[in-house]
Amino acid sequence: MLMSIPMLLYVILFAYVPLGGWVMAFQNFRPRFGVGPIRNLIEAEWVGLAHFRTLLDTSGHTGARFIRALTNTVGQSLLTLVVGTISAIVLSLMLHEVRQTGIKRFIQNILYLPHFLSWMIVTVLVSMALALPVSGGIINDVLLALRIIREPIQFLAEPRYFWGIVAGANLWRNLGWNTIIYMASMTAIDPNLYEAASIDGANRYRKMWHITLATIRPTIILLIIMNIGWLLASGFEIQFFLGSGPSIARAENIDIFVLRFGIEQHNFGLATAAGVFRTGVSILLLLAANLVAKLMKQETLF
Amino acid sequence: MKKLLLILVLLMVAVAVLAACGRNGDEQSDATPSPPPVTGQETQPDQQPPLDLGILGPHNPVTWTMMIVTDNMPPAADNWLMERIREELGVTLIFDIVPGDLQDTRVATMLAAGATLPDIIHVTQLDAHMAAGGTLMRLDPFLESGMFPRLQEHHAPYIGRLSFREGPVEPGLYQMATWNRFYTDDQGGGPIMGPTHGGTGFWLQKSVLEFHGFPNLDNMTLERYFDMIEEYMIANPTIDGMPTIGFTFPMLGRVWGMTNPPQFLAGHPNNGEVLVENGIARIYHTSEYAEYYWRALNDAFHRGLVDPESWTRTQDEYQAALATGRVLGFHDQGWAFGTPRDALIEAGRYERTWIPTMPVMRSGTTPWYADRPVLNVNQGIGIPVTSDNPEHKLLFFETLLQPEWQMLFTWGREGIDYHVDANGNFYRTAEQRRNADEAAWRLSNRVEVLWDAIPKIQGSLPCGNAYTPGNQPSEFYEGLSDYFRFFLTSYGLGTWTQFANDPPSNPPYYPAWQAPIPGGTPAAEAAAQIQDILPRLVPGLISAPPGEFDTRWAAFIAEFEMVNTEALEAQIQSFIDDRIARAR
Repeated sequence: MLMSIPMLLYVILFAYVPLGGWVMAFQNFRPRFGVGPIRNLIEAEWVGLAHFRTLLDTSGHTGARFIRALTNTVGQSLLTLVVGTISAIVLSLMLHEVRQTGIKRFIQNILYLPHFLSWMIVTVLVSMALALPVSGGIINDVLLALRIIREPIQFLAEPRYFWGIVAGANLWRNLGWNTIIYMASMTAIDPNLYEAASIDGANRYRKMWHITLATIRPTIILLIIMNIGWLLASGFEIQFFLGSGPSIARAENIDIFVLRFGIEQHNFGLATAAGVFRTGVSILLLLAANLVAKLMKQETLF
Repeated sequence: MKKLLLILVLLMVAVAVLAACGRNGDEQSDATPSPPPVTGQETQPDQQPPLDLGILGPHNPVTWTMMIVTDNMPPAADNWLMERIREELGVTLIFDIVPGDLQDTRVATMLAAGATLPDIIHVTQLDAHMAAGGTLMRLDPFLESGMFPRLQEHHAPYIGRLSFREGPVEPGLYQMATWNRFYTDDQGGGPIMGPTHGGTGFWLQKSVLEFHGFPNLDNMTLERYFDMIEEYMIANPTIDGMPTIGFTFPMLGRVWGMTNPPQFLAGHPNNGEVLVENGIARIYHTSEYAEYYWRALNDAFHRGLVDPESWTRTQDEYQAALATGRVLGFHDQGWAFGTPRDALIEAGRYERTWIPTMPVMRSGTTPWYADRPVLNVNQGIGIPVTSDNPEHKLLFFETLLQPEWQMLFTWGREGIDYHVDANGNFYRTAEQRRNADEAAWRLSNRVEVLWDAIPKIQGSLPCGNAYTPGNQPSEFYEGLSDYFRFFLTSYGLGTWTQFANDPPSNPPYYPAWQAPIPGGTPAAEAAAQIQDILPRLVPGLISAPPGEFDTRWAAFIAEFEMVNTEALEAQIQSFIDDRIARAR
């Protein structure tokens, strides 16, 4: 109890106190230097729900842009989540079947490495890989060599590829890392179960399906619920560095929207409103996922 | 105390000696062929009384943090000029350098968080958020005090234009003007134009013009421009083994590089987003000129002239592409691609550099690509309100505005970095010229970050020499390579600027791109929406498949109809009206 007080204070100070800034969502906030953040907030002009109305009014340009940002956020996140989760589970299963510990460790370590590259570097690698063959785009080279495409594709200039690029980059960087928790829960599986299944005549695939996957199901569901809380945060760097050209139509997510309106255009009120909206929807999504899990009698967050 | 007095006296002597410009202070003003005419607004800074050093000097050492928005590199640790500033003025500067593209973020966080301010702030935001946010001191009382005659002289003729009036703060001068405050008019009443064109243009590689036998470039059209590129490209599909790039433009980070041309094709000067006709501003992105331009690029795209990678390149990638020497044509402003141009010159690939051409839509239209230099407003040095010794800081900039300090920044030390001939003209040897072309040398011998930020004497120095070597006619000719001389001779021209149009005098409101758009207003929202639409949809117009341009153009127009362009036009209009009223 006593030990938790420092952490509690930390959370209150750094997670709850800044929420006071949310009042900006209902103001025309114009910071003046030298009066302090509190007086800035008190003295700002109140506009009620005007910013939220602007955001959700799809007949206006800003509203249409916000809805586009919202769609992009959810689209990018969902694709990343689905692709990421399925690949991580498949990879964990495959690794789990590797019996030689040395080789398994070696493969795992190699798979973790990309996770330690900063997003900035990943962004540069991605942009190079996706470029035209003249500029060293290896993906086009490979696709051309395999005769899958006849003309090189300009991936970064075509909006329709962007969600896939986000999911792909996330996959490349985080695949190994995401297997850690699945691998950990797989090592906790009682070996007796496998022996019993063998005796019952189950082959390798049967055992993977009925024992490994079944045992780690609570982990999978818990991780999905937690990730759904992050559904409205689809990342920042790839969208920021690679999505400023024509692909912005599929690249701009809520984070970029907030940056553009708040920091770059000094429209703090509108940007805060977008942020508040995002948080609100995130909480709803998390509660909904939790409820679904509860109804399905699965492991839940609370 | 005695020691202090002695130091002071010594310093006065040193300043007096330094104050003689060049070798023979008096002789040379007679020797100058034609002394620049002194019109109403121009004065000669050296007529002012010598400065009383007072609080500024080595007896009163200070260390200031100076925030500077620039893309230049900070000086090296062994820089002699920084050392001299420290020794003679007692000022140690710690540079806090903010790259241009991070400026908005930095300013917004400083304002909103109420963070500690640097001791001196240099910002270049057109919207002057720092001044509007109450961060900067109003400088008018200081200038009026008479304590800073040079700074007062620097600002007084343009004070109406320089005063900031948009924010909730008291109208006045909040930022000292740093660029394009010209002191002397070096062409007898004509425009002050350097030998290289720093403005906008449809640039064309010199080898293309050589290939076509140095054709006359008057009455340029886009059709002719792209034809010349195409013919050269067919003859030279690769340059140094890499595919030739016909045409490109900067986009990411500088969308205007892609979207500005319609106004120039219409024969208008650079007003940013608007055409100003009879004093009325209107946004041109949906005009016939825009349609004409995008259609022309669409056509060029299908002829394989427009590089499809143009709209995905970052700033760095764009500059790198130019530096390969395989880009035949592009639209940009001359100041913006100095690095690749210098790299090509350093590599001796002179024929791969470019000259500006000025196409227009209708024959008979006079091009107005090159404009006369415009005074920068809302960009420059400010003193934070938290400062307890503003006089000390202003005295520092007052001192740096002396011609003898200015020369140290641009020419360097006499006898070491340049020489003075019998007529008092400054010149450099080939080696001195080579030194100044070297980036590493400049870090130890120039302070480009500070030069970028301080109020300065542009035009001619009081001793008749140009304010930088690059603007000294003799230096320009001496520094030209054989190829460049051959090229200029082939056209019978003397400078690169002469390839551009002769700029008429600027209208009183000019340029409309200086109109401040206060954040959070409908005008700012519209401006932001336009900046969202252009990069998103224009590449699709350029690359539209045959027959699909019209549908895409209609969709582009439809998006613009959702934007409250009237609010933006009204904001720019009020700026124009205000300036016209003030000019009367």
